[in-house]
Amino acid sequence: MTLDAPSPDAARIAPGTLAVLDAALDAVVAMDGRGTVRFWNRAAERIFGWTAAQASGREMAELIVPERHREAHRRGVERLVGGGAPVLIDQRVEIQAVKADGSEIPVELTVTRMPLAEPLFLGYVRDISDRVAAEQQLRESRHRLLEAAYATRRRFERDLHDGAQQRLIGTGIALQLLRARVEDGGELAELIDEARAELTAATAELRELARGLHPAVLTQGGLRPALRALTGRAPIPVSVDGVPAGRLPIAVETTAYFTLAEGLTNVARHSGARSAAITIEQDATLLRVTLSDDGRGGAVVGAGSGLDGLRDRALALDGRLWVEDAEAGGTRLVLEVPCAP
Amino acid sequence: MRSVSRRTVIVVDDHAAFRRQAARLLQAAGWEVVGEAPDGASAVRLAQALRPDAVMLDVGLPDSSGFEVADALGSGPDVLLVSSDEDAGELARERERAFLWKGALSTDALARALGAA
Repeated sequence: MTLDAPSPDAARIAPGTLAVLDAALDAVVAMDGRGTVRFWNRAAERIFGWTAAQASGREMAELIVPERHREAHRRGVERLVGGGAPVLIDQRVEIQAVKADGSEIPVELTVTRMPLAEPLFLGYVRDISDRVAAEQQLRESRHRLLEAAYATRRRFERDLHDGAQQRLIGTGIALQLLRARVEDGGELAELIDEARAELTAATAELRELARGLHPAVLTQGGLRPALRALTGRAPIPVSVDGVPAGRLPIAVETTAYFTLAEGLTNVARHSGARSAAITIEQDATLLRVTLSDDGRGGAVVGAGSGLDGLRDRALALDGRLWVEDAEAGGTRLVLEVPCAP
Repeated sequence: MRSVSRRTVIVVDDHAAFRRQAARLLQAAGWEVVGEAPDGASAVRLAQALRPDAVMLDVGLPDSSGFEVADALGSGPDVLLVSSDEDAGELARERERAFLWKGALSTDALARALGAA
């Protein structure tokens, strides 16, 4: 601990207060109006790797501010001392700080001005490396889980496609050829026709199941043909605009597709809409997928709606999903996910 | 001129049972099935050797997509792409290829898609 009092004022900080600051779990550092270190507690020694003796009297910017931010820091101090409006004072910010060994760590920082005649600024700095790393791990594992779930669904769809669907279709052709050899009107013809009708229904059910797992056309051709197929089956007209010509990461394509599929199901079931529109926009960092309808509005995510799970998928991609009432009436469902073109 | 003989076709699909059933259906529709292939590479070789009038080609082949095989076949035979996935028709439409959903295969549908045998 050190307090290089720049003035008699600063020396008036009670020794008890200094002891409390010195024992704090977070780094507590102070600098004067010239940006010079005046106080450096034990946590600051531990976090930044400079002892109080080493830090005392040196410029704060040189010690813990990354080089690329130093000039801005110096200008900020000058502005503040000159009576300018504070930018960082009494706010919580997350920034990078540099340690004695040159490595950088993420920190949470708040700066306050001591009520003294001479400028003295106290900074509370918390090393948030562990939290930031844990958040990163959580994001990555969530992303991996989503990818794994999608991969499993693609495999199930593939298995259905290669197995049961092929067999049912082959059986259908066999029954068709058999039927062609049987005269109309007899009991045999009737039995074959019944079997074919059942088979057609089973094939359709299996197809819906496979599509619900993962639409094969999405894997093969991406969003453009997949959305044409999807909107082609919708009970109301749906316009599609702005679908990227190229391919996107499969997890992004899949999440966008299922968001729109679920959204269109909701539109058809609950909105009373006469038409809907899909718009896809992509900039340097973000893909935004919007489904608008001209129905009665009032839709919400949550309350057990099918959109709950889709919001989780969006979050797993560091994105977000929400619904809102459009100004002109109707509902807008919006998905935003980070995605470079 | 092939006016005296039936038009020829080869069937390309990795499922042997489907190839068999499709061949029977094509025969019922008046076609002569001159060969079968389980994948894209052997389909191209077979088509070069047999020069069929048409090729029935599955979209999802083990070694390549039916669309790639169709491109490799060039302008020789008429190509009919088929899939048990109805949505694959959208892929065919993008590429301006004739397509039939396997679930809708019939002698009539074949005649419409490939012309009379």
